[in-house]
Formats: sequence, C-alpha cells, structure tokens
Amino acid sequence: MRYNRVHIVLFLAPILVIVLLLCGMIAWTVAVSMDNWVGMAPVWKFYGLQNYVTLFKMERFWGALQNNLIWMVAFIIPSAALGLLLAYGLTLSGRAETLFRPLFLYPLALSFVVTGTLWAWMYDPEAGVINNILRGVGLSGLAQPWIADPRQATYCLIMATVWQYTGFAMTLYLAAIRDIPVEIFEAARVDGASAIGIFRHIVVPNVTQATMVTIGMLTIFSLKVFDLVWVITFGGPGISTEVLGFFMFVATYRQAFVGLGAAISVIILILAIIVVVPYAWWSMKRLQT
Amino acid sequence: MNVKKKWLSKLPLLLVLTVAALVWLLPMYTMVANSLKTQQEISRAQYYLPPQGLESQNYVTAFGILKQGLLNSVLVSVPATLIAVLLGSWSGFFLARMRFKYSQTIFFTTTIATFLPYQVVLYPLTRLLMTLNVINTRPGLILAYLILNTPMAMLITATFFQTFPVELEEAAALDGCGPVTFYWRILLPVGRLAIISTAILIFTFIWNEFLIAMAMTQGPLAQMATPVLAGLKGNYAQVWHIQMAGAMITSIPPLIIFVFLGRYFVSGLMAGTLKG
Repeated sequence: MRYNRVHIVLFLAPILVIVLLLCGMIAWTVAVSMDNWVGMAPVWKFYGLQNYVTLFKMERFWGALQNNLIWMVAFIIPSAALGLLLAYGLTLSGRAETLFRPLFLYPLALSFVVTGTLWAWMYDPEAGVINNILRGVGLSGLAQPWIADPRQATYCLIMATVWQYTGFAMTLYLAAIRDIPVEIFEAARVDGASAIGIFRHIVVPNVTQATMVTIGMLTIFSLKVFDLVWVITFGGPGISTEVLGFFMFVATYRQAFVGLGAAISVIILILAIIVVVPYAWWSMKRLQT
Repeated sequence: MNVKKKWLSKLPLLLVLTVAALVWLLPMYTMVANSLKTQQEISRAQYYLPPQGLESQNYVTAFGILKQGLLNSVLVSVPATLIAVLLGSWSGFFLARMRFKYSQTIFFTTTIATFLPYQVVLYPLTRLLMTLNVINTRPGLILAYLILNTPMAMLITATFFQTFPVELEEAAALDGCGPVTFYWRILLPVGRLAIISTAILIFTFIWNEFLIAMAMTQGPLAQMATPVLAGLKGNYAQVWHIQMAGAMITSIPPLIIFVFLGRYFVSGLMAGTLKG
C-alpha cells in the first residue's frame, strides 16, 4: 500500500506524543531527584546527589529494597513453578482442562484492592479465615500470627500474590506446551517414557521461551508492588513490609519529601531498565519479520 | 473397557487438580459466602460454613458507600479504554503493517513505555494534571490513564495485526485504497476480535487500578471504586460481611468479563506479553 510522509506523521503522532511526554516526565523525575524539594514547590537549585546519599543512609530504604528482592525470588519462583506444573497437569488431564483452567485464572481478573481486602481478613490473626479453618479442623497448632508478625508478613503478601498470578504463568505455559509438536510426545510414549520423564526431558527444555516471558513479566510486577502492601499491611508491622513503590509514595505524597521521593523513583527506574530493556529488545527482534 | 481404564489411570491426576482448584477457590468462596451472612452469623466466627440465608442488606449497605465510586470508575474506564484503543490501534496498525525506517525504534520505545512502573512518572503526572487544572476530576483521570495505557494498546494491537495476511492490503491497494480508508473500512471490521481483546484487557486494568486512582484524587467526588473500597475496609474494620459485599460489588465488572469473554481476555493477555 502506498503511503507518504503525511501518513507517517498522521498515524504515529498519537504514540509519539505520548512517548515523548513520558520521556519528559522521566527526565523531570531525574532532575527533581537532584533538587532539595521539600514541601509545596521546587527550589530548582542543584543539590547534587545529596538525596541519594540521604537515601543510602536510611535503614528504611535498605529494608524496602530488601523486601523488593525478597518479592522477586519468593514470588517469581513459586508462581512460575506452580504455573508450569498446573499447565502440564491440565494438558495431561485432557478434556478436563476447559473445566479447571478458569478456576486457576480467575484471580487475575480481580483488583489488588479486592484481593487485599479479602486476604487481609484471611490472614487476620484473631478473626482471620485461615486460623479459623485451622482451629475448626483441629489444627490450631498451625495457626499463625500471619501478617501481624514482621518476620512473616512479607511472605504472607507474597503468598496472596502467588495465588493471584499462578494462573498467568499457567496460561503462558499452556500455550507453550501446546506449541510442542505432538510427534515428540508420541515418540516418547512409544519409547515408554513416564509422565514425569516426559515432563523433565521434553516439556521443561521446550518451554524456555515461556519461562523467559514469565520471569520478565513477574519481575516487572514485583518492582511495582504497591496496592497489596497499602491495603493489607500499610507497610507494617512497623515498616517491615515496605517496598520501594510504597516508600516512594509515602515520602512524596504524605511527607512532601519530593526530592527524596524522586530519588527512590530513579532507583525503581534503574531496576526496571535492567529487566525491561533486554525484554523490549528481544520482543522487537522477534516481531519484525 | 479401554476408555474406562484410561479414565481410571487419570484419576490420581484429577484428584490432585481438584484439591488444587479447591484451594484456589477458597478465597472466592470465603468472599461470596460471608458477604451473604447476617451480623449474628458472622459473630459466630464459623467462616467456612455457607450462609443460612441470603442477606442482601450487606450489598445495599456496601453499594450505598461505593455508588459514586462505581459511577466514577465507569465514567473514567470506559472513555479512557475507548480512546486508548482507538489511538493505540491507529498507530499500531501503521507500525505493524507499513515498513519504514524507524518502526523498530518506535516499537522498542513503546514496549519500554508499556512496562514502565507507574511510580517513575507518578509525581510529574500529578503536576501535569495540576497545571492543566484537571487534578481530582474525571477528565484528569481519563487523561492520566490515556497516557499510561495507549502504549500498551498499541503494542497489543500491533501484535495482533502482524498476524493478518498480507493479501488484505494487496487487495485493498489494487482498489486504490489508502492507509486511512484501509484502517477504517477494512482493518477495524476485520480485526474486531483483536480490538475487543485489547479493549477488554485495558478496561480491566483501568477498572482495577489503584495507585493512579488514589494519587490523582481526594475525597468522594472523583474517586474511583478501588480507593473507595480501600477506604471502606478501613472504616468498617472487623465488619467482614460488609467488606466482602463491597469487594464483590467492585469485582462484578471484571468477573463478568472473565466469565463471558474469558477467551478474549486471555488472548489479549497473551498478545500483551508479545507472544503473538
């Protein structure tokens, strides 16, 4: 189809305006992170890296960063592993797949505020559903303080998110398993391979791409965690469940340390770039055929 | 005989899957069952039991609190989704179907924009809405969601459009059809499933979103359902049945989408991860 310069401008103007706007906002954030902005208005006087120095001296910052790293590990690995196992299980189950699939995927459609409201109650140490059920079936020994215990609280939040995101990993893996040629499975079955053998030697090596996508997506997610922390624990007990996204919000909007908040945003940006740029590069290469 | 044997061999697997599914359904069961209980039933603290009757009063109470928020959510999510999908598919079509020098660069940048954590642009976005005098209003929220979701709309539609056969344009070009006519007359109708999938996904994202909704609004006038629900949770501490009714009401639109249009939801999701 013939097109000219006018068409290029006409069609790409919306996305270019938005992308430039976002770039401008990022530049603004970086600039503000080097400004001693406390309160209502910026002072626009170069403050160097002083905000970062202040940040790195704060135990609260390192706690939040550490929690983000815990999120990455403790959230991604179980979600991906469970997702893969479920996907394989569903594939083996044959026609039951259609019945089971939505039961694992539906949490993904819910808002984090909804899951937060729900799981805050599930985890409530006194009147919570989980402890209630454990006591009800005579397992009161297993009842925990859950989110009231600063050592457990972050893991409790993560468990709720694993519940919500396993279906996402499962969906990606289901598609990946479906893409493996049927002949490979049949050949393996003829050779007498067991279901576990097929899983280890055929499924796992053939879904690496889905694993990359899953890990990439879930890493990005774990960097922007905010809602669940806000709704379930509000960073507590104490500051034990704070993450960078939460700390940034509190510093900027509640305490008006705008310069410091911008510095936290820049840290989040750097962490995001490490994941997003290779991902975007890889997807760009794949898409342009 | 053979069929029966095959079924039997699957029994352990089906049992494991059933147990897992029950675990996954437990939170939903908790939410639904307890949202229908009376105050007395809740105070008996046997949350795993089903409700004795259907206490609709909880829903009336929760709806009364959420009413304005739900209205705002509709009035923000629907226009923001429509415009984002329109603009995104407009650019996405050109990028996916026309080859030119910078298409890869634009695609690359848009992917980054799509997956950028909102926190990185949150405060400048707030200032932008303040400068434009639309902070704490529905148009302001629409603008914010538009800026943040159009890149994703472009990415998803472009992923879909790439899979369409080349003949589509070739035939149209023979008839002397230019890109604008092609987009309106052929691509939108032919690609309607792609458009629907994208719209469904983006609507769900905006409806469920919390950070922007909270940062850009204060007070009930423009507040969307998610911050109102978070407020309800605080104000009705320990009043579990009202909390659960509120959570259920807020979930109704995305759950309806998931139940009736789940196929599109999933295909949008897959395209969103660029696994086209």
